Amino acid sequence: MIRLFARLILRPLRAEPVRTLLTVLSVALGISVVLAIELASDAAAGSFRSSLETVAGEADYEITAVGGLDESLYAKLSQLPIPIKVRPRIENHAVLLESKQTLPLIGLDLVAHALDTNSTNAPNPSNPPASPSVTPAPNLAPGVSRGVILATASNRKPGDTITLRINDHDHLLTVTKVINSDTAFAIVDLGLAQDLLSRPLKIDRLLIEATDNLEPQIKQALPTGATLAPFGARTEENRKMLAGFRSNLVILSYIALVVGAFLIYNTISVSVVRRRSEIGILRALGMTRTTVLTMFLAEAALFGLAGIAIGVPLGRLLAEAAVGAIGATVQNLYVSSQPGLIALTFLSSLKAVLAGLTVTLAAAWAPAREAAAIAPVEAMARGRKDYDTSQTQFRNLALSAFCAAAAYFASLAPPIGRRPLFGYLAAALLVLSASLATPAFVHYLTRSTRHLLKSLLGVEGLLASQSLDASLRRTSVLIAALITAVAMLVSVGIMVGSFRETVIQWIDSQLTADIFLQPAVPASADRFPTLTPGMAEKVAALPMVTMVDQFRAYPIFFRGLPVTLGSGDANVVRQRGKFHLLEGDPESAYAQMLNSDSAIVSEPFVNKHNVHLGDTINLPLGEKIHPIKIVGVYTDYSNERGYIILHRSRLLRYLPDPAPSNLAVYLRPGTNLTQAQRAIENALADSRVLILPNQSLRREAILIFDRTFAITYALELVAVFVAVVGVAGALLALVIDRRRELSLLRFLGAARTQIRKLILCEAGLIGLLSVLGGIILGGVLSLVLVYVINKQSFGWSIQFHIPIAILLGALTIIFTATLLAGLYPARVALALNPIEVIHEE
Amino acid sequence: MANSLHNQLPLLVSPLSPTSYFWPLWPLRLARGVSRGVQSALTFSARFRLARSANRGALTATILALTLHAQYRPALPNYQYNFPKDHYSHPDFQTEWWYYTGNLKDTKGRDLGFELTFFRQATDRTAKPSTWAVRDIYLAHLALTDITGQRFFHSERLNRQGPGLAGIEETTKRVWNGNWQVTWQSENQIQLQAIDPSFTLQLNLTSQKPPAIHGENGVSQKAKGEGRASHYVSLTRLKVSGEVTIGEDKRQVTGQAWMDHEFFTHQLDAEQTGWDWMSLQLNDGRELMIFQLRRRDGTIDPFSSGTLIERDGRTRHLSQIKMTPGRRWKNYPVEWTVEAAGLKLQVKTRLDNQELVSKQPQSPTYWEGSVAITGDATGLGYLEMTGYEKPFSFGNP
Amino acid sequence: MPPNPEIPVLQFAGVHRKYQNVSALDGVSLSVPPGQLLAIVGRSGCGKSTLLNLAGAMDFPSSGTVHIDGQSTTGLDDRALTRLRRDKIGFIFQSFQLLPNLTAAENVELPLLLAGQPQARERALDRLDRVELGGLGHRYPHQLSGGQMQRVAIARALVHRPRLLLADEPIGNLDSTTGATILTLLRKIVSEEQATIVMATHSPESTAFADRIIEMRDGRIINPS
Repeated sequence: MIRLFARLILRPLRAEPVRTLLTVLSVALGISVVLAIELASDAAAGSFRSSLETVAGEADYEITAVGGLDESLYAKLSQLPIPIKVRPRIENHAVLLESKQTLPLIGLDLVAHALDTNSTNAPNPSNPPASPSVTPAPNLAPGVSRGVILATASNRKPGDTITLRINDHDHLLTVTKVINSDTAFAIVDLGLAQDLLSRPLKIDRLLIEATDNLEPQIKQALPTGATLAPFGARTEENRKMLAGFRSNLVILSYIALVVGAFLIYNTISVSVVRRRSEIGILRALGMTRTTVLTMFLAEAALFGLAGIAIGVPLGRLLAEAAVGAIGATVQNLYVSSQPGLIALTFLSSLKAVLAGLTVTLAAAWAPAREAAAIAPVEAMARGRKDYDTSQTQFRNLALSAFCAAAAYFASLAPPIGRRPLFGYLAAALLVLSASLATPAFVHYLTRSTRHLLKSLLGVEGLLASQSLDASLRRTSVLIAALITAVAMLVSVGIMVGSFRETVIQWIDSQLTADIFLQPAVPASADRFPTLTPGMAEKVAALPMVTMVDQFRAYPIFFRGLPVTLGSGDANVVRQRGKFHLLEGDPESAYAQMLNSDSAIVSEPFVNKHNVHLGDTINLPLGEKIHPIKIVGVYTDYSNERGYIILHRSRLLRYLPDPAPSNLAVYLRPGTNLTQAQRAIENALADSRVLILPNQSLRREAILIFDRTFAITYALELVAVFVAVVGVAGALLALVIDRRRELSLLRFLGAARTQIRKLILCEAGLIGLLSVLGGIILGGVLSLVLVYVINKQSFGWSIQFHIPIAILLGALTIIFTATLLAGLYPARVALALNPIEVIHEE
Repeated sequence: MANSLHNQLPLLVSPLSPTSYFWPLWPLRLARGVSRGVQSALTFSARFRLARSANRGALTATILALTLHAQYRPALPNYQYNFPKDHYSHPDFQTEWWYYTGNLKDTKGRDLGFELTFFRQATDRTAKPSTWAVRDIYLAHLALTDITGQRFFHSERLNRQGPGLAGIEETTKRVWNGNWQVTWQSENQIQLQAIDPSFTLQLNLTSQKPPAIHGENGVSQKAKGEGRASHYVSLTRLKVSGEVTIGEDKRQVTGQAWMDHEFFTHQLDAEQTGWDWMSLQLNDGRELMIFQLRRRDGTIDPFSSGTLIERDGRTRHLSQIKMTPGRRWKNYPVEWTVEAAGLKLQVKTRLDNQELVSKQPQSPTYWEGSVAITGDATGLGYLEMTGYEKPFSFGNP
Repeated sequence: MPPNPEIPVLQFAGVHRKYQNVSALDGVSLSVPPGQLLAIVGRSGCGKSTLLNLAGAMDFPSSGTVHIDGQSTTGLDDRALTRLRRDKIGFIFQSFQLLPNLTAAENVELPLLLAGQPQARERALDRLDRVELGGLGHRYPHQLSGGQMQRVAIARALVHRPRLLLADEPIGNLDSTTGATILTLLRKIVSEEQATIVMATHSPESTAFADRIIEMRDGRIINPS
């Protein structure tokens, strides 16, 4: 069997090394992309753990409240006459100025931690320290000193002085202890953390160790606004949210593998078609059907394994490149986390291996079955090499129509658990439908354009068109693969383009102020550094300033899901904003916000929580729960958690922290922007503040947007590249297959240049057909992406917009690439010696 | 419940370096802290603290330490006690502790012993008075001996005052550390509460005798030199009733307890390496407190002494005492022959392993447990032995 | 197993074969005893190839029965048919049908490998010797002349010692000299190995070597002798 496989399958492959290599390469690329995305998204999301979970350890419950907990609650709970353990935390971020690195800043009760003990007996030796080694530090009692425990991979030692930028101020701190760690973090005592963050009396979270039966007693001791939740519930929510994002990414990554599968299908099909009579002989000589099937599946498996061997290390390399981009997206849209290390685990490798093998074997199944079905009589038949496709064509068209209809209905279905699974199904069905329709599409299109081609390109065009039509079985799969790749590019291009256009319009309406101020530290979807209170007044006092709006944001949890709670000045918005409401009357909405507990909320919030205009939601603010009425819904694209916005002074009643997250400054008409900027700079000389004119903030926003989608583009490009590689491989097969015909043409007087032109025409025709099909399929897919998948997974309404220039550019590149893919086969065709070829049989 | 990372956290994040737990070296450490302009010192475990001059820099350390102590008040003769005020905190003194030990019996006749101790150690009187400033460190120890069941449980706790995590408060009549607390109900009624995941104490104590003041002229001298002494007062016979739970096992108990309260600024000298202390409650209605200080050269310090409390509460200072060690468990002599106040007593532990081993390798370990008395008189008591644990090199685990 | 002279190697009884209303075989009965070289002659489309397909266990009769070495093909599944072919039948094709990627020796070896028989290589080389191609075993088909290729094909057809050898126009692609050599070789094999050969041909040279000749027209045997 092995000997047979080696002779019958391996030997022909060796005879065509370039084609074999191209097929292997396409599979390898597919696998590497899948693996890279898997590894990179794992690393980027820091195992989907918020960086605020740093050194949280294990606990049974956690207590939180919007705007923070009163520190006295810590003392109250620790004195409860029940066996619980209470650990307070302050959680924020700081920038290590020397390395510009953002790291979690965690405030702990270091005194209590110093002798942390909760059991009466000796420590359990079965739990050896998983912690990094501890370096002795000089004595710095917490709270009194400005000591910080620094975990970092860089070379620091106790006694070093570091500067941490926290919100809009820099703080000089002494390192008391260094922990060698891949993830960086800084730990300070609670008191110091409160000082550094200018948040006296507040802590962010209490972690509780307690048995279940104590829950009622703990609850009873809490103010109504505080939430007691099982420990890790929020991490779990974050994980779910990120899992959605991750599945989108993973699905995108599989496109490359699917395109690779098309190519495997093509390769095996070609191999089968070319060897029909050979298979007939083998069957006549006594080879069983099972053996035939096994042989061809083994051939596919060989491609798969070779692809895996190259793809896994390549994927590891690609992950390195992707992790930054994915990390940025996670930060922008979801949660602050530090990219962890890329870990190529056994499990992730196994997943890649399985995915690769499954896809290649599945792709090879149909052609291998076909091979097994070849009757031994075919050995007797003479010259019957291609067979009619017209009969299957009709059946395929009917199937195609069925798939398209199914896709339509799938697109109407609601999401499952906030994931647009039916949307993906619809997309997959559409791709299937297009693949089934491809032979007919190519057939009718080549038929109807034959004369046009002849007049445009001469006889070579005609011959190319005819040969394409004649070898439909070989080429249609290839064209389907390319159509799929192009369609993905087009649809994602349209989706991102629409999104981009929508966001630009949204920014135009949102960013009405002239200058924006924010602390000079990075913010993210759940991280809102604050400015020193009083800054707004200082700026407002400047002569060229007419108004200052103060915006404050809190990352909170509403009904168990992360949401951003914000406050702004409804007066300013009313006077100056072109602020457009999706639902609700702006005038009355702002009036209600000023005078009552009313809020406007963002569209993703409405979609996610299924609340409506006019509803009242119960929002825990500080110690108590307050009913808040929704008086308006507005469009927002800045994050997918959703916003609840109250009027500033209303929110200050419940959360009396006056520090704003950013300021929007309106200038007198005709003020020189640079002068104004300088004046603000001077007024705020002692704070570390970013002063952004409207234009630069706009640029920044678009930049963030583009960065967010960079990885998407990259994935699409890989898919197209895989497809183009496939074109080269398949054309090569065609040339080798038709060497007799090509030689005959030479005998009939065709010049070498004409042969080349013929091959290139064929390549160009494939490219053109694929681009054409891709545009059609891509257009339909983009509707699914924009109106189904995107809407369901992010809750954003996007206006449809076709980025014509970008698409045209991309398609031209693809077309050119396909044309170039014909160059090598053309060279092979030219290298054939017509006399030898004719005499071969 | 808690495991893995969290349990490692103290090691991971402790800002208090191993040296700060180098328990016998506290003046040295303080000195170092001062020289850096910072405070430290979480350095006490049991009732005496000793220093060894053999350590590097000890001389300068001692000088510096003395300057530091200037912030605090030394224990000097002619101190006028004023109860109940003197049952509470004395923040002018650097160190203060409250010890409750006792022997109990449950309704089924099973024997138990307990220890609940609160320490206050002043660390920084210059720190600005904010909630989280570490002006004092509060440490507490809890131990339960199941004598019949031959089991020993112990636990420890460390806090600052913070927003009310620990403290001593005369207004609410409380001494507490988390949910371990002592509450004075009246002049002679005290309530103890201590909750640990594996055992709890809820005890009502009634003092049978007036406070006994040890030493002479209101000071218990510990070494040569002015101020090398403490103010030391005890409630030597407290009638106990209450409840002890071990796991799910709830027991009603009665018995007798002893309370020690001591406050001072510095008392020992560098040659003193450890001590042996006993509180003995005799069945004839008298009590005996004795301690001996061991010196580096192996001799017994002449400042070792004791107090005999008569049935009516009158006290007698005992400067001539003799404690002879007998059988040892590990390094600890768990059987003693005591000669004092004309009595010769055999003091034997009721369970060998009553060693309080700290979870922190840097933190001190000592022996404190229930003992039984035979000989010229019978009774029960508590014994404390320090300075026997791993030969003093445990700063570097 | 020695050939049993009582049982015909190939027996057709009232065999009809229809392809979509076109009758390729129309009531053929035929019995070929062991050791006979039977030539079937007739024009293209007379049913020769269909007869060979049925004889080769590659096709079933629409009605009637085909017995190969006493075994009926009726009711056999693909696996059993495959085994029948593998064990009892050898094929020689007009266009040789050598696998281009295999050397001569490998081609000959193939049926043995497929049947999982031992010492395939030795037996293949031995076979090649006997068709006078010793030493050319390492050559690929395109490095051989037409006559050499057909010898390889014969060697391949005989390597597993089949009871029945089917030859479809074995010299159709060869010049007459070479053709004669091949026919002599076949004749020799019949006598030496007691093989039975059914040969479709339309060349008179071929018929000269046959023990018996039947002629077919429109799916029928017209000289039942």
